[in-house]
Amino acid sequence: MIRFFQACADGLLTGALYALIGMGLALIFGVMRIVNFAHGAFLMVGMYATYVLFDTFKLNPYIGFLPAGLALFLFGWLIYLVLIRPVRDRSHFMQILMTTGIGLILTDSAQLIFKADYRQTNIDLINRSVHIGPFGANAAEVLSFAIAIAFVAGLYFFVARSLTGQALRAISQSPEVAPLMGINLTRIQGFSFALGIALAGVAGGLLLPRLYLFPGVGEDYTTKAFVMVVLGGMGSIEGAALGGLVLGLSESLTSLYAGNQWALIVDFILFLLVLSFKPSGIFGRQRA
Amino acid sequence: MSLLKSWKFWVAILVVLLWARVPWFVRNNYQLQVLFRITLFAALGLAWNLVGGYAGQLSLGHVAFFGVGAYGLALFVQAGIPIWISVLLAGVVAALFAAVIGAIAFRLRGPYFTLATIAFAEVLRLTATNLNVTGGAIGLTMPSLFVGRTFWRSFYLAAVVLAVIAFLANYWASRSRFGYYLMAIREDEDTAGAVGINTALCKLQALLLSAFLTALGGALYGSAFQFIVPDSVLTLEISVQIAIITMLGGAGTLLGPIVGAAVLLWSQEKFKNQFQESHLLIYGVLIVLVVLFLPEGIVGGIERLFRKRPRLPSARAKAQAAPGAAV
Repeated sequence: MIRFFQACADGLLTGALYALIGMGLALIFGVMRIVNFAHGAFLMVGMYATYVLFDTFKLNPYIGFLPAGLALFLFGWLIYLVLIRPVRDRSHFMQILMTTGIGLILTDSAQLIFKADYRQTNIDLINRSVHIGPFGANAAEVLSFAIAIAFVAGLYFFVARSLTGQALRAISQSPEVAPLMGINLTRIQGFSFALGIALAGVAGGLLLPRLYLFPGVGEDYTTKAFVMVVLGGMGSIEGAALGGLVLGLSESLTSLYAGNQWALIVDFILFLLVLSFKPSGIFGRQRA
Repeated sequence: MSLLKSWKFWVAILVVLLWARVPWFVRNNYQLQVLFRITLFAALGLAWNLVGGYAGQLSLGHVAFFGVGAYGLALFVQAGIPIWISVLLAGVVAALFAAVIGAIAFRLRGPYFTLATIAFAEVLRLTATNLNVTGGAIGLTMPSLFVGRTFWRSFYLAAVVLAVIAFLANYWASRSRFGYYLMAIREDEDTAGAVGINTALCKLQALLLSAFLTALGGALYGSAFQFIVPDSVLTLEISVQIAIITMLGGAGTLLGPIVGAAVLLWSQEKFKNQFQESHLLIYGVLIVLVVLFLPEGIVGGIERLFRKRPRLPSARAKAQAAPGAAV
């Protein structure tokens, strides 16, 4: 039983980071109806940005993720203006191809610049652990959990309360009427795309200390992010956060009872089941 | 017979004969292998075109059928079934998989459909990696369809035959009632359903045919390279490659996939030497350029240049919104 609860705790620790990734994707889909197949690639760019800061300035990844996230925010806005805005009114077909192309360019540019070597950051924290009662957890994971939760909560309140958040929700509800009410469509879309990318970058920075870094590291996260977003109901930001936690739990429990190699299969089967029986998501209302 | 009087028919026969004669001019095995890949991917693009081009359903899961073809051939031969019958059986099994995928995925539209096809292919890849029957991550040795000195020449010819079959399927789709149904579904699925087309059945039939042809391609590919692992014949990259080839050449056009395969794979070979591991960069750049500037693809763009009547503004706006709309 203690192993069950330990696995749940581990699952939630990972799940909070997943939530961050999923919320970014949901934000982009909700506001723009664009399915971002490059999400994992942007996460990878965030990891490399944090790594470069660590490597050249000896900046701890748990601080370095902030400037990295900021850099990705600007980068995301640029990508929006140059590549996403021109396909804003095209079919999903074209948008999917566009983001797939962006993902390929990012991954292979990383390959060109950093080669295919596996890289690692060695920081002190990763070797310490925290004990609460009978449960133990890696100190680095607890710290990244805390930071991720802070971001998730911050984003939730930002979207729910702020004026910009209201504009985001207005566009997601009706992209035709919202501009008539004086909302600048291009600016709000650019902002939300940039914010979604920045969240992926932050998640990348927080993942860096516990993963090996290589150009293809983001690939699994694109598909995982889709699983979360579909679980939570496409376009629902709080749904995606819950989807992230569910995914973390299911992976952790699958690893415990069936072995690590089945975790990703369970993700996809969950995904297909939700798509076929409740396409609006487990927690979601019908959006798209 | 009117067919025999049509100059297009005789030109097509001539092109195929020349195409099949290429190995007699190329002595180098490496070049022959490149030509084999171009021809094979032209066939795969044509097979994808039935679903992605004419019916307008963007599947990024076609590698599932490709992989089932390759693994099916290996496993049926292991079970003692004659090799050419195994190839056909692998195609039939892929069509069965397509029926399952279609039953679930075709109820979904737009990005949901694409995501579901990816998820299916990924489930197959991960299952093949984890099961013992499929050799796990170590993979399987493939039975050889051809042996001896004419190895690559035979594989090349087999690819030409497959491409011709796939082309005829496309030709049929571009002229027949069935093809018009598919195009109606692409343009507006709800209206197509409202005028009495059984949209679910039409999409499924197109997918079954497409999956069967794709599986034959997978069997050829696996056998030619003699060895398969999940990451070589079930990777998402191949799905993307097939879709890109068709989009680059022109989705929903007859010659598009052939032109796309030639342009993409040839430039990939050129870039392989310069960028080595990053040769996929050219894909990314090509995709972005095609989406931005050539949404109808190379053949679609040329056809528009030579179209005699100017298009109505509304039709043109629609063509930009729906990429496969070029006839």
